[in-house]
Amino acid sequence: MTMRMVIRVIALLTLGYLLLPLAVVIGGSLTRTKFLAFPPQGVTLEWYQVILNDPTYIKSFGISAILALAATTISIVIALPAAIAIARHEFRGKAALSALLLSPLVLPHIVIGAALLQYGASIGLVRNFAALLVGHVVIVTPFVLRSLLPQFSPEQLSLEEASRDLGAGAWSTFSHVTVPQIRAGLVSGAIFAFITSFINVELSIFNTTSDLNTIPVQLFNYVQYSVDPSIAAVASLTILAAAAAIILIDWLIGLDFLSDK
Amino acid sequence: MLGSRSTLLWLLSLPVIVFTAFFLMPLAVVLISSFTTGEGDFTLMQYGKVLLDSYHWQVIITTFRIAILSTLICVLLGYPLAWYLVRIVKWRTWRRACVILLILPLFTSNIVRSFGWMVLLGRSGLVNDALRGAGLIDRPIKFLGTETGILIGMVYILLPFAVLTIGNALAKVDPALEQASRDLGADPARTFFSVTLPLTMHGVLAGGIIVFSMAISAYVTPALLSGGKVTVLAMLAFQQYSTVFDFNFGGALSITLLVFTMALIGLATWLSRLGTAAEKAA
Repeated sequence: MTMRMVIRVIALLTLGYLLLPLAVVIGGSLTRTKFLAFPPQGVTLEWYQVILNDPTYIKSFGISAILALAATTISIVIALPAAIAIARHEFRGKAALSALLLSPLVLPHIVIGAALLQYGASIGLVRNFAALLVGHVVIVTPFVLRSLLPQFSPEQLSLEEASRDLGAGAWSTFSHVTVPQIRAGLVSGAIFAFITSFINVELSIFNTTSDLNTIPVQLFNYVQYSVDPSIAAVASLTILAAAAAIILIDWLIGLDFLSDK
Repeated sequence: MLGSRSTLLWLLSLPVIVFTAFFLMPLAVVLISSFTTGEGDFTLMQYGKVLLDSYHWQVIITTFRIAILSTLICVLLGYPLAWYLVRIVKWRTWRRACVILLILPLFTSNIVRSFGWMVLLGRSGLVNDALRGAGLIDRPIKFLGTETGILIGMVYILLPFAVLTIGNALAKVDPALEQASRDLGADPARTFFSVTLPLTMHGVLAGGIIVFSMAISAYVTPALLSGGKVTVLAMLAFQQYSTVFDFNFGGALSITLLVFTMALIGLATWLSRLGTAAEKAA
């Protein structure tokens, strides 16, 4: 029984360790002082007002959102056919192809970013939205592919066959029979893709400018030189947005996967 | 079969074109430029500059030390936490809350999380205040700009990956096997080390590989918590591209980072295969 207590204590301390920095950021954003204080001294929403009235933050936020949305959409268009090919067809070089499409998951993003910068410079694909988008598509596609692959099973083939026997065309079978069966993987893959794009620094940093900035890069540049409550307010907003996204996922697909039952 | 061939071609054309044009080609450009001089002649000088210089070796060793320690700590802290969530927590709502708490950091950017630590680890930050308040130290410990500070931030960012992969493996262990071990007279420690741990080893290794590959290539966390006083390989490569504009030397640094990462992931995968094979043979 004592071992159980030891594990419990380690686990709770570790959970505290995970919570602490987020609590500091949110707490610090509420302080009345001009410098970042934790615990906060007094409570005010003034810093939120400051950043919500700052057009550069609003603009970066918009760019990040559009970029993440576009990258996620394109990554589905790329990953879905690739997943069908890998799951349903036999062909030479299949292992190599899936390794290629999944490899951005483990390769250093800073290397991919540098490579795209150098290569993009030769074809005019630098420091514009298309340059950002191309990089984000490359790093988020593996997330969609990885969550799609386990969704395919041999049993689905007979359902699709039945659909065709009943007179449905290929496209109608795909959208009415195949897609509903892989929807869970599609949704979770898309969410991970969106988030990965939305919080990326390592890739975006090569192609952002003062006019074309994403919210994480703007935060990164700011935090390196100064730390004040307004930056904590921006950071808190991203934490709240993340919490909302997770509650949404929990509601959609359920997060109680660590249950041993 | 002809129909299947053309379907396959249709399915694969877009993924192959996009990944060739925007992933393989750029990496090939980096590889080529790492073997050329500024004038475009073939040379091994760039790699010589990386590998024959003691400063660069120091950076490589620091990078590895941080990545290996991060991985070890993540596994050592992650296993008890996974155990707690899977085996000890009985209240579903609390487990759900804990899982949300674990995933929340994954959904916020490295900067926001590192930023929290920048505040906590400062000279008059909460950590130093608490340690001083408890009478454990007389003067503030310097965390920012040291490897300890980077390690605290890295473990923090990578721990959820370890907990989730280990927890998944742990949840799949059949309790009947552990029961059998106890019925045969093994004490809890023996049961853990000869039944549970081997059955979850693939999760530990998988989690370890994810953590290691992310730690070795991390840029944001070390950049923010080092205050420019500790340098890791990713920071060095980034400098070449962003401020020095030496794409040839930057290429050599990038390829070095890539090769080291792949080699260690390959080694870990090979070890885990070897482990599985040994298990089957036994």
